[in-house]
Amino acid sequence: MIYPLIIFISIAYSAWSFTHKPIDINILMPAPFADSTSTIVDQYNHENKGKVHINVTRGPLETEAVSDLAISSLLLGASPFDIILIDVTWLPKYAEAGWISSLDKYIDIEEWNSLISGAQDGNSYKGNIYRWPLVADMGLLYWRSDLMKEPPQTPNQLLEISRNLVQDNQVEYGYVWQGRQYEGLSCVFLEVLHAFGGEWLDDNNHVKLSSNESIEAAKWLRKLIKVGASPKAVTNFAETEALQVFESGQAAFMRNWPYAWSELQKDSSQVKGKVGLTLMVSEQGRPSASTLGSWGLSILQNSHNKKAAYQVIRYLTSQASQKKLFTDYGYTPTSEKLFDDVQLISKLSILPELKRALSVVQARPMTPLYAQISNVLQVELSSILTANKPAEDAMRLAKDKTKRIILSSGS
Amino acid sequence: MNIILLLPAIFLLCLVFFIPLLRYFWLSLHAYSVSTGLELIPNGGVNWLRLLEDDRFWITTFQTVRFACVSVSVEVVLAIFIALLLDQKFKGIGIARALTLLPWALPTTIMALCWRWIFNTPNGPIERLISLVSNEPLNILSDPHLAWLATVLADIWKTTPFIALILLAGLQTISKDLYEAFRLEGGGKLQAFFTITLPLLRPYLLISLMFRLAQSFGVFDLIQILTGGGPAGSTESVATYAYINAMRFLDFGYSSTIILGGFIVLLLLSLFAMVFYVYSRKIFISKL
Repeated sequence: MIYPLIIFISIAYSAWSFTHKPIDINILMPAPFADSTSTIVDQYNHENKGKVHINVTRGPLETEAVSDLAISSLLLGASPFDIILIDVTWLPKYAEAGWISSLDKYIDIEEWNSLISGAQDGNSYKGNIYRWPLVADMGLLYWRSDLMKEPPQTPNQLLEISRNLVQDNQVEYGYVWQGRQYEGLSCVFLEVLHAFGGEWLDDNNHVKLSSNESIEAAKWLRKLIKVGASPKAVTNFAETEALQVFESGQAAFMRNWPYAWSELQKDSSQVKGKVGLTLMVSEQGRPSASTLGSWGLSILQNSHNKKAAYQVIRYLTSQASQKKLFTDYGYTPTSEKLFDDVQLISKLSILPELKRALSVVQARPMTPLYAQISNVLQVELSSILTANKPAEDAMRLAKDKTKRIILSSGS
Repeated sequence: MNIILLLPAIFLLCLVFFIPLLRYFWLSLHAYSVSTGLELIPNGGVNWLRLLEDDRFWITTFQTVRFACVSVSVEVVLAIFIALLLDQKFKGIGIARALTLLPWALPTTIMALCWRWIFNTPNGPIERLISLVSNEPLNILSDPHLAWLATVLADIWKTTPFIALILLAGLQTISKDLYEAFRLEGGGKLQAFFTITLPLLRPYLLISLMFRLAQSFGVFDLIQILTGGGPAGSTESVATYAYINAMRFLDFGYSSTIILGGFIVLLLLSLFAMVFYVYSRKIFISKL
């Protein structure tokens, strides 16, 4: 008589615990993001105890290594993740492969419109929204306020000021940027390209890399090195190397992302209090351009808890979270309202300048073939900068190769 | 009966070698990329035609063969010296042998990061040394001609001990009586090296040559971390090219084709090494 009772109780208990087991939401993030969001995640888990539990997998430090990890698991078909934090350039690829799920049916359009316009970019593919931005990100020009009163406005001014400062031995290097053959070089070039009035792809997917403006842009980058406005070593610089040199006071200008600001304000920085940031230079009469970076959260297609996952995304990207991430880690907010928040501005005076940069962001081509076409551009630019390849030849080759990639894919 | 005993080995070989190879071949006959929505679509060898016309594949293959041949040749010569040294009897030989192996024991990724720092401009130690004698920095990793030499140097540093170890094992199988007899006949030390040591080391040289050729042909981690294939694509290897095609471009069909293309080149290279081995026997015998 006792046995059926025990069996009944244990079945009932397991059924109860099964239905009351908290929903697990697994998120893959690059290590720095996992660290910076950890207190927000803990707070969410505390507030939703017994209902929803977020587990964050701390991915590798390097951007592309995170992509490798995500892709490996996605290819196997059964990814353990519900949400991944993805870079703006991965989105079309992931969407086309059917790995991430459209967020349209969850999104409240009013909430979406509360995002600043620069943060709304880079989240959609073929008319559907696939990603909610966690942090806005765009290229900026950092300048030394102890060496000059005003930052330069045009490419020529930037070059001349850098060269003069180097020649007068005021700094060892003038302008440092990302010239290594990798994605950063494409980001740098996109800004210069627009500064000269050029385009990478036009609205009809026509490749514009061999236009006069493009060639001029590439030549300008080479000239920076030739005349000594930038050290030759920039052709092996990524963000970290550029920041190291600038932080140690060896350079007058640096092209980098907003994260560099908080690094430059640390006590270890030799240029603390001597740095300003502004928009990238552009030819007279042309608007500045700032390459759109940005990371955002996407829900994977094979997640079983999409609705809960969306709630988690909105929690992590709420205004309160953005405020915290901005004040503690310098993450650029995405909500338009926060840019006018007097309290925030008093804490960090760069906010209006960030807003200005966000209004001129340029997205890199939103195509699943982006990695290919960017790689072609990187190799050709690197040949111009390091192997003395004539800019005309290299850019024409870049155009032809890009065209072939687009044609052979049938799109 | 013999066959049965071989079965486990054959099974293992199939599992880790033939099945993946067949799978690559099968994939190479399909369009299988993000453009096809990751669907397998047979495309009748278009990937192979594309490989033949792909300049970048051939440049990359040339760079890989150059990397493999230069680094392995230098390594073998250096390793012979090191092995001869380690074959001597002196105090602390055990420690010396262990120390020699240290570079081989270090993980390539960590070692490559260290080299990246060593070659770094402007703050790396090499540039600091250069700055003592010249105002112009070398910009090692920014110069297509120097960057590939930097990868070769890093590879030599790491894998010479491995060859030295194999050759040391070979040296110890050579009977000391041979040298004794040679000396009594009035032969010099240098002569002994060319008439006894080198010919008897041949099988060991072949083993290390084969191992290292295959290994350096597949070089990936060192390049990926040290240079990322740049500058101007000058250090890209077949493996890194296949990798970006698969993991960055999501073009698995073409990536498989690149891997197989590289495999065929490696087979030819190994064949060449074998022919060289057989031919070297003739040289040595004619000397005797």
